Amino acid sequence: MRYILTIAILLSCLSLYSQDVQFTASAKQTVAVGETFTLMYTVNKEASGFRGPNLQGFGMLSGPNTSTSSSIRSVNGRTTMTITYSFTYLLQAIKEGSFDLAPASVNVDGKHYTSNTLNIKVVKNPNVPAGQNPTLLSKGQSGSGTATSGGNDVFVKAFASNSNPLQGEGVVITYKIYTKVQISGINISKAPAFPGFWSQNLTKDNDKLQPTTQMIDGEQYLVADIRKYALYPLKTGKLIVDPMELTCVAQVRKQTKTRTGDPFFDDFFNDSFFNSGIANVEKNLKSNPLVINARPLPEEGKPADFSGAVGNFTFRTEVDKSRLKTNEAVTLKCTVSGKGNIQLIDKMNVVFPPDFENYDPKVTSDIQTTASGITGNQIFEYLLIPRKPGKFTIKPINFSYYDLDKKRYITLTSPEFTLDVEKGTGESQAVMTYSGANKEEIKYIGSDIRHIKDGIIALNPAGKLFFGSLGFWLFLAVPLVIFMVFLLFWRKLAARRNDTILMKNLKATKIARKHLRKAEEFWKSGAQDDFYVAISQALWGYLSDKFTIPLSDLSISSVHDALKQKNVSEQIITQFIETLNNTEFARFAPGEKMVNMERIYNEALQIITNIERELR
Amino acid sequence: MTMKQIIGIVLMMCLSGYLYAGDEQLLIQKGNKAYSLGNYQEAVQYFRNVTDRGLEAPELYYNLGNSYFKMNDFPAAILWYERAKRLDPSKEDIIFNLNVANTKISDKIEPLPEMFYQRWFRAVVQLTSIDGWAKFGVILFIIALFCGILYLASGILALRKIGFGVGIVLIILALLSFLFSWSGYTRKQSTNEAIIFTPTITVKSSPDEKSTDLFVVHEGTKIILLDHIGNWYEIRIANGSVGWLPATALEKI
Repeated sequence: MRYILTIAILLSCLSLYSQDVQFTASAKQTVAVGETFTLMYTVNKEASGFRGPNLQGFGMLSGPNTSTSSSIRSVNGRTTMTITYSFTYLLQAIKEGSFDLAPASVNVDGKHYTSNTLNIKVVKNPNVPAGQNPTLLSKGQSGSGTATSGGNDVFVKAFASNSNPLQGEGVVITYKIYTKVQISGINISKAPAFPGFWSQNLTKDNDKLQPTTQMIDGEQYLVADIRKYALYPLKTGKLIVDPMELTCVAQVRKQTKTRTGDPFFDDFFNDSFFNSGIANVEKNLKSNPLVINARPLPEEGKPADFSGAVGNFTFRTEVDKSRLKTNEAVTLKCTVSGKGNIQLIDKMNVVFPPDFENYDPKVTSDIQTTASGITGNQIFEYLLIPRKPGKFTIKPINFSYYDLDKKRYITLTSPEFTLDVEKGTGESQAVMTYSGANKEEIKYIGSDIRHIKDGIIALNPAGKLFFGSLGFWLFLAVPLVIFMVFLLFWRKLAARRNDTILMKNLKATKIARKHLRKAEEFWKSGAQDDFYVAISQALWGYLSDKFTIPLSDLSISSVHDALKQKNVSEQIITQFIETLNNTEFARFAPGEKMVNMERIYNEALQIITNIERELR
Repeated sequence: MTMKQIIGIVLMMCLSGYLYAGDEQLLIQKGNKAYSLGNYQEAVQYFRNVTDRGLEAPELYYNLGNSYFKMNDFPAAILWYERAKRLDPSKEDIIFNLNVANTKISDKIEPLPEMFYQRWFRAVVQLTSIDGWAKFGVILFIIALFCGILYLASGILALRKIGFGVGIVLIILALLSFLFSWSGYTRKQSTNEAIIFTPTITVKSSPDEKSTDLFVVHEGTKIILLDHIGNWYEIRIANGSVGWLPATALEKI
C-alpha cells in the first residue's frame, strides 16, 4: 500500500513536469475596421522573455499585458497543476485587409518556443460609415459613405462656476452634454479626478436628464447637465481637473448611395423614405480639462484657531442640563450650520474642566446638496461625565471661519456654561471602587530629555586626568614613604629594646659570677650576712637577667612556673629551688658557719653552671 | 602630620576638581538661564565659551548636549553627551538623554554582542569615572597603610589582627581600583570614537572617492576610528562593519 502511495505521489509529481509546453496565439479571425479586439498568447508553463510580433496595420491600445493563472486539480489522487501565462494585446483594426501575424517567441526553462501564426481579416465596418469612426485612430480616414452628421454632433463640455476661488471656497463644476442627434445609453467611462480638492457629487445617479435647447452657431442643440460637482480647493495654486470621459450611443442617420446604374432606381432608393436607415454608433466623448486657480486666504486677521472653514455659517452650542449629579452624563452639543465646506470641519476646540471624563465627539453631518453647493449642519456631540462634585465651567468655545460675503474672518463664540455637580446619592461607594479600579500606570505622553544641571559646576582643565598625574603618584608615594620611615624607626626602636634583653642575657652569667666572687671574699673574711646577700643577689639576679623576668615578679613560689615557661627541665628547677631554700635556711642554721658558707657557695656555683649547660 | 590633617587632605582631594571661581561660573549660569528661557542658541554660545577656554566638566557637556538637542541638532547633542559620558560614565542622566537622542537619528545599528565577562567588567569599570577609581584607590591605599602601622605598633593582639586582615583586603581593593582606573584610561586612550555629522554619507571600501560603496550611514551615528590615511578615516560601526570615510564627515568625540 505504501509503495502504491509513493508511486502515486511520484506520478503526480511527474505529471507536473511531463506536460508539453504549449504556446498558442489566439484572436478573432475576422474583425471590422475600428473594432477593438484582443490578441492573446498563452503558454502553459512559467515563461519569460516574451517577444511579440510586429503588429503593423493595427493600432495598439495596450499591451502586452502579462497575467498568470494557476489551477490545481486533484482527481483520484492525481494532482494536475495548470499554470497559464498569458500575454494580451488590445488592438484596434485600422484598415481593411488580411494580416498575417508572425509567431511570437518566449523562453520556458531556458528553451525557446514560438507560437503559431495567425491570420486576421479586417473587413469594412458594416455599421459605421468610414469617416464617422468615433475613435481617434480613424481620424483622417476617408470612406466612401457620406455622413449626415458632422463631427460635432455630440460633445461634452465642463464649466466651472468660478475659476479663481479662494482656498476652501466652493466651486461648482458642471458637465454638460450637447447634442444634435438622438442619444441614449450615456455611460461615464471615466469619472473626472479632482486632485487637490474635496469634492461632493451634487447629482444623484437616478436623476433624469433635463434637456433644454440652446442655439450654437445657428444650430439648435439639446443641452443637459450630466454631472455636477461641488469642489473645495484644499490647497492653493493651479489645480487641474482631469477631463471626464463618457460613451453614448448616437443614432446617426445613414445615407448609403446605392448605385444601380439606373437613374430612376437611384433616385428612388436614395429617397429619404427608403434610405433613412438609422445607425447606432457608439461614441467616445471627452470633456475639456479645467484649470482652477485657488487663491490663498488672506493672512490678515486670521484667528489662531482657524481650521479652514470657508463659507457662511452660524454656530450654536448647548448643554442638555446645567445641574446634575456625579457620574451622570451631560451632553455638549455644538452645531455648525450654513453653506460652505461644512464637512471639512472635523473638530471643535473645547476645553473641558478637569476631572470630567470626556469621550471623542459623535459627529453627525446633515448635508443637503443643491445645485449651487452644499448646505447643512455639522453636529458635534460631546459626552461628559463629572466624577467629582463641584461647580465647573466650560470655557466659551470659538469657531472661526472666513466669510465669503463679508470677505473677512469671523469668530463665533459660544456662551460659557456653568455646571453644578452635586454629589450623587448612594453612589459614593461605587465611585470609590471605580476610581480605585481605574488606577492606571503612569502614562507617558511624550519623551523628552532630562533637564540641565544647575548650580556650580566643578570645572577641570580639559584632558587632565588625576589618574597618572603627578598628584596621583605623590598621593601614593608620600604615604608610602611616611610608612617606610615609620617602619624603619619602629625597627630601630624594637632592635634597641631587643638589644637590652640580649645584653642582659649575655651579662647574666657574668654578673652572677661577680656576685659569687664577692660572696667568696665574704666567705673567706667570715662576713656571713654579706655572704648570703651576695649569694642571694647572684641567684635571683641571674634568674631575672637570664629569663627576662623582672626581679619584682620573682619569689620562691613563682620561680617554678617562670622557669617551666622557659623550658628548663624539672630536675634543674627542683635543684635551683632547693639551693634557694638552702641559702635562706643556712643563714640561720646552727653549725659551723664556715662549712655552711662553703657548701652554699658550691651549690650556687653548681646550679648556675647546670642552668648554663642546660640552656646551651 | 597628624591624623586629622591627613584626613582633611584626603577629603579635599575627594571634592573633585578645582572650583574655578568667577567668570566661568557666571557664563555657565547665564547659559543655564538662557536654556531655561528657551534661548538654546544663546545657551550654546555661553557653554561653548567655557569649553573654548579649555575647561571641562561632565555637567557642562551634558548641558551643552541638552541645548543642541533642543535645537534639534541631534548629532551635536550626541557628540556632547558622548563627551560627557567619557568624563563620567556613571551619571544616569547623561545616559538617559543620550539614549533619547539616539532614538532621533536614522541609523539603528544592532551592536555586536559582548561576552558576559567583558560586559560585567565594563559595567564595574563604568561605575565611576577614571579619576573616581583613582581617588578611591588612593584613599584605600592610605587606609591600608594605617592598618599596617596598627599591625606593627599595637600592643593589643586583637587590634594587630584587625590591622593585618583589613590592611590586606584594602591593599587588594586598592589595586583593583587602580586596575579599573587603568582599564578606563587605556580604553579612553585607545578607542577613538566619532560622530557622523554629514546627513547621509556612503562608506567606501578604501580611502578613495572612486572606490566601491559599502553602506550608507546617517548623521548622529557613533563610529570607532581605526586608522587614518591622509584625509580618510577607517571606521567601524557598532555592528562590526568596517569602511572608509572622509575626515570632513565626522567629528571626534
